Amino acid sequence: MTAAPPATGSSEVAGAVEARLTLDRRRRTRSGSELAVGLAIVVAAQLALSAVGGFPESWAVPLADWIDDARRWVINNQTTHWSFSFIFNPISDSIDWGLRTVERFLLWLPWYVVAAAGGMVAASALGMRAGLLAAVGVLYFGAIELWEESLQTVALMTVAVGISVAIGVPVGIASARYDRLQRSLRPLLDAMQTLPAFVYLIPVVLLFGVARVPAIIATVVYALPPVIRLTDLGIRTVSPATVEAAEMFGATPRQTLRKVQLPQALPSVLTGINQTIMMALSIVVIAALIGAGGLGQVVLESLRRLFVGRALEAGLAIVVLAMLMDRVTHGAAGLGTRRRRLRLMPDSLERLGFVRSVESALESLDRFMCRVGASLASPVRRTPGLAALARHPRWALGLVALVVVTIASAVLGRPEFPSAITFSFAPAIDWLVDWVRDNLYEIGGTWFGTGWFSDSITIYAVTPLRELFSADLAWPVVVLAVALAGWRLGGAQLATFCTACVAGLGLLGMWTLSMDTLAQVIVAVVMAILCGIPLGVLAARSDRFERMLKPVLDFLQTIPSFVLLVPVIIMFNVGRIPGIIASVLYALPAATRLTNLGIRQVEGEATEASRAFGATRGQTLRKVQLPLAAPSIMAGINQTVMLVLAMVVIAGLVGGGGLGLETVKGLRRTDSVGSGFVAGLAIVLLAMLLDRLLQAWTRRFTPVEGGR
Amino acid sequence: MALHPRHVKGESRGHYIGPVVTTEQTPLECHEITKVFGDNLVAARARLADGCDRQMVLDQTGCLVAVRDATFSVERGETFVVMGLSGSGKSTLIRCLSRLIEPTSGTVKIDGTPIGDLDDQELRELRRQRLSMVFQHFGLFPHRKVIDNVAFGLEIQGAAKADRYERALEVLSVVGLGDWADHFPQQLSGGMQQRVGLARALCVEPEILFFDEPFSALDPLIRRDMQDELLSLQARMRRTLVFITHDFHEALKLGDRIAIMKDGEFVQVGTPEQIVSAPADDYVREFTEDAPKTKVITVGSVMQPLDGEVPAGEPVNLDAVLDDVLPRLLANPAALPVADDQGEVVGTVDRDRVVALLDENSRSGAAGAGRNADQL
Repeated sequence: MTAAPPATGSSEVAGAVEARLTLDRRRRTRSGSELAVGLAIVVAAQLALSAVGGFPESWAVPLADWIDDARRWVINNQTTHWSFSFIFNPISDSIDWGLRTVERFLLWLPWYVVAAAGGMVAASALGMRAGLLAAVGVLYFGAIELWEESLQTVALMTVAVGISVAIGVPVGIASARYDRLQRSLRPLLDAMQTLPAFVYLIPVVLLFGVARVPAIIATVVYALPPVIRLTDLGIRTVSPATVEAAEMFGATPRQTLRKVQLPQALPSVLTGINQTIMMALSIVVIAALIGAGGLGQVVLESLRRLFVGRALEAGLAIVVLAMLMDRVTHGAAGLGTRRRRLRLMPDSLERLGFVRSVESALESLDRFMCRVGASLASPVRRTPGLAALARHPRWALGLVALVVVTIASAVLGRPEFPSAITFSFAPAIDWLVDWVRDNLYEIGGTWFGTGWFSDSITIYAVTPLRELFSADLAWPVVVLAVALAGWRLGGAQLATFCTACVAGLGLLGMWTLSMDTLAQVIVAVVMAILCGIPLGVLAARSDRFERMLKPVLDFLQTIPSFVLLVPVIIMFNVGRIPGIIASVLYALPAATRLTNLGIRQVEGEATEASRAFGATRGQTLRKVQLPLAAPSIMAGINQTVMLVLAMVVIAGLVGGGGLGLETVKGLRRTDSVGSGFVAGLAIVLLAMLLDRLLQAWTRRFTPVEGGR
Repeated sequence: MALHPRHVKGESRGHYIGPVVTTEQTPLECHEITKVFGDNLVAARARLADGCDRQMVLDQTGCLVAVRDATFSVERGETFVVMGLSGSGKSTLIRCLSRLIEPTSGTVKIDGTPIGDLDDQELRELRRQRLSMVFQHFGLFPHRKVIDNVAFGLEIQGAAKADRYERALEVLSVVGLGDWADHFPQQLSGGMQQRVGLARALCVEPEILFFDEPFSALDPLIRRDMQDELLSLQARMRRTLVFITHDFHEALKLGDRIAIMKDGEFVQVGTPEQIVSAPADDYVREFTEDAPKTKVITVGSVMQPLDGEVPAGEPVNLDAVLDDVLPRLLANPAALPVADDQGEVVGTVDRDRVVALLDENSRSGAAGAGRNADQL
């Protein structure tokens, strides 16, 4: 049994092994040498062109002037030209009417009715505890004396989301039915989601001017993609067998849609609406820049005057609103599938006698209320449209109670929000800001502190990179380097696209500003990845760590980007660094989540097989889990870059400089709309460039799909 | 030899489920149905006309010929089984019969009306009134309760809620799921789900029922139960059934006639007995090899015509399968008399003849090939 293989055979095997090793070496050196050659070309080009420097400003296309001319034309013709009197102005007027109506109604309602209504909606979607929390959250709006501003934002959101859904769901349905429509919509939706939020504001300002209506229009445009996409997806993923069955029974297309496709697609549609709401909320704040008013306005004004405390109060109100809307729509997406028990306190307290008695008292109260509600609703049991009330007695009772209280208040005189329950923690925050500036900048008089931290990043990373890109490197070298990267990752087509984008930055006259922004993006992305991916790996390996991390990530993802700036400013003052740090925080969840998800999605069997061969945890991670998770991690990096870009631009508001600042200026001052628009366009080019490059890179990690 | 669809044998028992339409027309007639998938249909048709085979058409035009020149008709009350392996085009064929898939050429006539000429509205009317289908993966609506699944067809037709629930409950109790009306499909086992699928198909009182591999997703034991259930339902209701399967045994058990399909074409069409006793080619023979022949071959096909005296003993019926007479034949070497339905003795059968036939069948199977040709 121990017969050795014949000598000739063994030398043959050795030869084959040798050949394979050579091949492997060669393959590895080839990708290495490609990189080296690329670098050499770039360096050689730089040496040859060292005198050239940044993009010549005289080459810039005077696009800004043209835009300003167009703006002037719009202002002059707003009252006379047909396109305004028949298209833009009617749209604008009807939106304005809707907004005013909603707002007036909300502000007319007594404060306690609004709080109770908020609580009831949350309670029906999420349960008793959430309901109480929601009511307290609504009261917070009044308590910090931002009642009116908060409800303005709510009204703005309601109208914007309403329009988004009214457009998005039908378009999604049509897109699910007609492949051609879907094909033509997809690149548009992709582009819409790639672009940073406030790029949308500029063209809207151009056509509609600065006011609340353009803010709504920009919001609708920005928030539309998810609801279209997810309606489309939801309908397309309905099992084809059920659609075929419906057809077989002679259902008309409309019947199939109404009775089979839409009901099954509903969870997906609701998820889309949830995402739309969150996106709308994030831009409604930014839209304060173009006069949306509301809470965003307060944050913006306070930040501008460095009233950090007030900014945080208003920012928290936005966060409360965001969480409320997010959780409620999330809960509503699962509505009807499971019955929630009426519970006020956690189950773990069940063993305490008084908790049980409170709960049972609540339950009997609930039963009583249900009976009352049912009897109240019984007269409308047969009325179409109102029949649902009879099935949900709690709703019936609540609605009746709210209406009665509202009418009573209207008759007896509407009370203002009581000043007794108002408070303000702004002074405390302002004191904290001063304290941080005095004490943490250089802790205890040493070199160490937040000042050192931000100075180091500025001196060793941001400034050198910016100088390198915008001044030291000759512009053709930058174009060449990007073109080479594009060619290597995606062939001639991508190389052309990338070259066009980079050259476009120069031709727009935005070379220096773009390179500034690019440097900030690169620094922030590197930081986000260095923190995010290890966190994701840790979360994937420890369930406890994942559980601890989840609320933090949830929080970071729910709060609108704009609000995130406030706490960072407390720590780091204004300037480039807080912008970068806020971007890191903003983008971190994407990198962490997708790394965690990617590793956890690796099939259990693959991990088990690796363990069965005696691999250590580290080996399993390196050789099995990370390679298999690579596509997901790359997607995370891609998202990180896009989020960082969006945030760095917003950071222009707090001294981040670069393209963001230029865009903001354009929104603020009518005389620089043109240059603002051009800066916005440069952001678009930058975003598309980075996105396409990263997507091409991501595709290289995607395993070959087994096709027929 | 005459064709004896099994259901014609006895008197029908039990109640009918809904009225049976009795027109003189053949309920389902198909003439040269061909379905080609692909973009280059003109070229593909030309190749087909030239007599190219499926692979050649695929190589030369990139088009896939899923069904080619399928011609058959199904009589009222008959169960017509199309049996083939996966990829043989049987699922495409059954979808062509109701135009869920539009055939490339050929005509389908339902009660004499060519359905290719119907407009959308007429086609919907046809599907609502006359056709129904049971699907391989059930195709139940997960968001509707069992009863709303069953009542779906009536709902689509605009029936009032009370009426359709009444009918749905009636049908649910026929398939033994009367107590499950308010559950959701996911709460039911696979076998029960397919009963819901069956009830849903029956609820609209169709004349023609299409079954697309309805039992292949079920466990073997449940599958057998469902087959028995379908046989007993069919004995009572006598609908016209087209049944797709990849299971030869299932085809033998359920089919009055079977079409064997390979690469989109019918290889052989005949009664189970004809197919088992005379496979048209080696492909069919492979299926018949481990088929339970004695459960399929009838006495009538092995008997010798009566010549002279009538042997002693109780006569056996022409239509009895060999399984029924084997115990008697094994116990007694003498020939048995064979009688037709009127009780008149028409022939004899003896042990040697049966053994010889089974032996010959299992070795060559060629005996009597072509006997089925006239049945097409």
